[in-house]
Amino acid sequence: MESIITLKNVSKEFKVLNRHEGIKGGFQDLFSRDYKIIRAVNDVSMEIMPGEICGYLGPNGAGKSTTIKMMTGVLEPTSGEILVNGRIPYKNRTENAQNIGVVFGQRSQLWWALPLIESFKLLRDIYQIDEKDFKDMMELYESLVDIKELYSKPVRQMSLGQRTLSDILAAFLHNPGVVFLDEPTIGLDVSMKSKIRDLIKALNHEKKTTVILTTHDMGDVDALCKRIVIIDKGVMLYDNSIENLRSFFGAYRTLRLRFTKDASQLTEDALKKQAAELAVDLKNVYPQVKSISVSVGEEWVDVLLNEDEIPLMKVLSHIQETRRIYDVQLKEISTESVIKKIYDKEIE
Amino acid sequence: MNKELKKRGLRFYASIYFKIIAQDFKSKMSYRADFIISMLGMILTNISGFVTFYIMFQNFETINGWNYYEMLFLYGFSLIALTPMQCLFDNNWNLRYAVYDGSFIKYCFRPINIFFYFISEVFDVKGLGQLLMGSLTLGYAWHNLGLQMTVGKAFLLVAALLTGSLFMIAIMNLAAATCFWLVNSGFVMVTMFKFTEYARYPVTIFQGIFRGLFTFVIPIAFVAYYPSYIFLRPGLPVLTCLSPLFGIFFFWVSYRVWMLGASRYSGTGN
Amino acid sequence: MKKKIWKYLTLLRVGILEEMQFRLGAVTKLFGNIIYLIIIYFLWKAIFAGAPTEVVNGMTFEDTMIYLVLASALFYTMEMYVTWDMGRRIKSGDIVVDFLRPMGYIKFQVLSLSGNTIVSAVTSLLPTMIIVYLITGGGFALSCNLLFFTAAIMIGTVLNYFINFFVGTICFYTESIWGINIMKEVIVLLLSGASIPLAFFPETLQKVVYYLPFQAIYNTPLKLLIDNSLSLQSRMSMLGLQLFWTVVVGCISYAFFKISVRRITVNGG
Repeated sequence: MESIITLKNVSKEFKVLNRHEGIKGGFQDLFSRDYKIIRAVNDVSMEIMPGEICGYLGPNGAGKSTTIKMMTGVLEPTSGEILVNGRIPYKNRTENAQNIGVVFGQRSQLWWALPLIESFKLLRDIYQIDEKDFKDMMELYESLVDIKELYSKPVRQMSLGQRTLSDILAAFLHNPGVVFLDEPTIGLDVSMKSKIRDLIKALNHEKKTTVILTTHDMGDVDALCKRIVIIDKGVMLYDNSIENLRSFFGAYRTLRLRFTKDASQLTEDALKKQAAELAVDLKNVYPQVKSISVSVGEEWVDVLLNEDEIPLMKVLSHIQETRRIYDVQLKEISTESVIKKIYDKEIE
Repeated sequence: MNKELKKRGLRFYASIYFKIIAQDFKSKMSYRADFIISMLGMILTNISGFVTFYIMFQNFETINGWNYYEMLFLYGFSLIALTPMQCLFDNNWNLRYAVYDGSFIKYCFRPINIFFYFISEVFDVKGLGQLLMGSLTLGYAWHNLGLQMTVGKAFLLVAALLTGSLFMIAIMNLAAATCFWLVNSGFVMVTMFKFTEYARYPVTIFQGIFRGLFTFVIPIAFVAYYPSYIFLRPGLPVLTCLSPLFGIFFFWVSYRVWMLGASRYSGTGN
Repeated sequence: MKKKIWKYLTLLRVGILEEMQFRLGAVTKLFGNIIYLIIIYFLWKAIFAGAPTEVVNGMTFEDTMIYLVLASALFYTMEMYVTWDMGRRIKSGDIVVDFLRPMGYIKFQVLSLSGNTIVSAVTSLLPTMIIVYLITGGGFALSCNLLFFTAAIMIGTVLNYFINFFVGTICFYTESIWGINIMKEVIVLLLSGASIPLAFFPETLQKVVYYLPFQAIYNTPLKLLIDNSLSLQSRMSMLGLQLFWTVVVGCISYAFFKISVRRITVNGG
């Protein structure tokens, strides 16, 4: 199968003015020609197959949005080649735009004051969607989500969740080959998040649309992505399946503990305090073991460790000797922890 | 997937534009208080302009050989010429906010002309108040100057007003487009908008290079003075004849600059 | 106490830095100002050329120009976008963040705006004054009137702020930020004497204007600078009136803001 998106040794540089500090510096800047060059994206290559949902991950400022902007044709790469749907995006922006859908940031791309259905109809005209295709699509939408009740509502009056939902539907409306979603679930509550994820999954399944997804929420990744690409400081760190990534950490285990009878009563701060105390304790007992880390999950204290370094039972029995444990769970390493380890450059 | 698309020509854009305006108008009407306050603001602006004008003529009888009614003619003419810019191109005022906070990027994702997409988003109803004030003023001056109204003259008047509008729009397009290069371009817009207020005075009050400046660099002379010259004075200056062509050219230049800025724009991602 | 002063100074400094950050913007601002001045020069020259006498309403062409040039420089020095900002922040809900600032929203704004004003005063008002002085060969006196002028600008800035603040608060009640703003701008510009010297107004209108707070923003400082015939007593009383308006408008704005905030927080906006 031929890839739908190809990036070959893509780099992007920006010229940035060196700002000086303080009041005197402000005057200097008025006439300064002192620029420095920042490499936002450095020699990135990847191939994405039709129908894939690919998670594009990285910490803030890693170069994610710059890459997406290049793939959507908004930015021209400084060097390298990009092909989307067989086209060079920035060479023919309108043609490329016809075949992609974008949800970028939290700002709605729909007409602020217009009822949703009117926005959809305008998009139908703009993308020259056949009446039949449009109808079919709307029927599909109606079967997937309760969108009908939103039709008459102007976007400005919608909640964030409703707006995100509408924006995603709008991005798929003209049945594009690729849809770019930039942090689609940010700021949403748990149930809305899962609703959005189900929707994306269903649309990807029904229409075989390729989806490029940037997110900081590993729940999105777990629910949607088979494949992830990780980038940091403009450099690609990883490109493969999540399972493959996890296998690096095959000997890692997460020990989930509860030290209180009714965990739902516990405040976040109290939980953090428990975790911090445990961390200090474990560090004192096993000073040479580097892989142990303690964090706070939802109502749990999580201890992550590498069994090649230290047997889990040994740690557990130590904890049991010093504390009263009310509940225990054993889990594999979470995606969150895996990604964090990659960001922290703990593996090569 | 690769179906044949119709070419997105004038007809396509016109149809989309009217659909947006019709919908926008409907939704504007549902915010009545907002609408009324905007209208009041518009009317008050015009009243204050008129009071300024009146106060000046209280103290002085002619300005540069132009009498009260002639000046009123120019005043009304410039108000009408301002209307299309006010009504149709008002979103230019929001351009710098969209550029600075990065939301401008959304205009780059659709398969239509970016300038069109951006400008079509807002239709400013309150500009119609200006049209009304301008028409009344122009009619009053026309009547008091004892001018005749014929079909030919009516045609000329419309052409002259359109010419003035093109210049007005082009000036503000350019002013708005500066935000792609400058950090606080709000000042450019405000200043340029202020300049267009002086379009209501005959350009002959300026001397030397400044007349050239306001004719060819910041062409406010073409907003009212040159187009309306045929109605007020005998003879036909070359610049009056050429003004429609200049208008179209200048508008085109402003459009190119605007688009150049938009293509330079990369979204302030971080 | 000392710590507090430092805190204020820091804010002032931030305001100054903000204003200077605008690189090319500063140059455009200057350029725009010069062209604007050229326009009013020619306009009023043409106007005076059409007048039967050289002195109109007690002002010669030169007097009028000095007044208008300084008025425009003063206008840009004291220009603020408080109403726009507030309107936008109210609309977006960001205004809630402002309530969380420890020093109080108003104090914060006044100080950072004062920083802006100081920079503008040094970069645009002062050069304008020097140029006007040199060109006119002493168009205004260089004595204690400068002190009065400075004092009046400081009070005028605060008064201007409070008027802006009052109008900005109205945005709690309406979505039409533009309408509210433009009304304010038009009224202030006309009735403060920033666009035409108040001396040219018809007498009845002049009387009305003198009973309104707007003329205390621009007209009072300018008069204190230009008019040499004023006695010390009348100078003091002008400043007093300015101060009076500042306190009155300040109190009203503050009360209005408080009431509005309570209304919004109770009703949940």
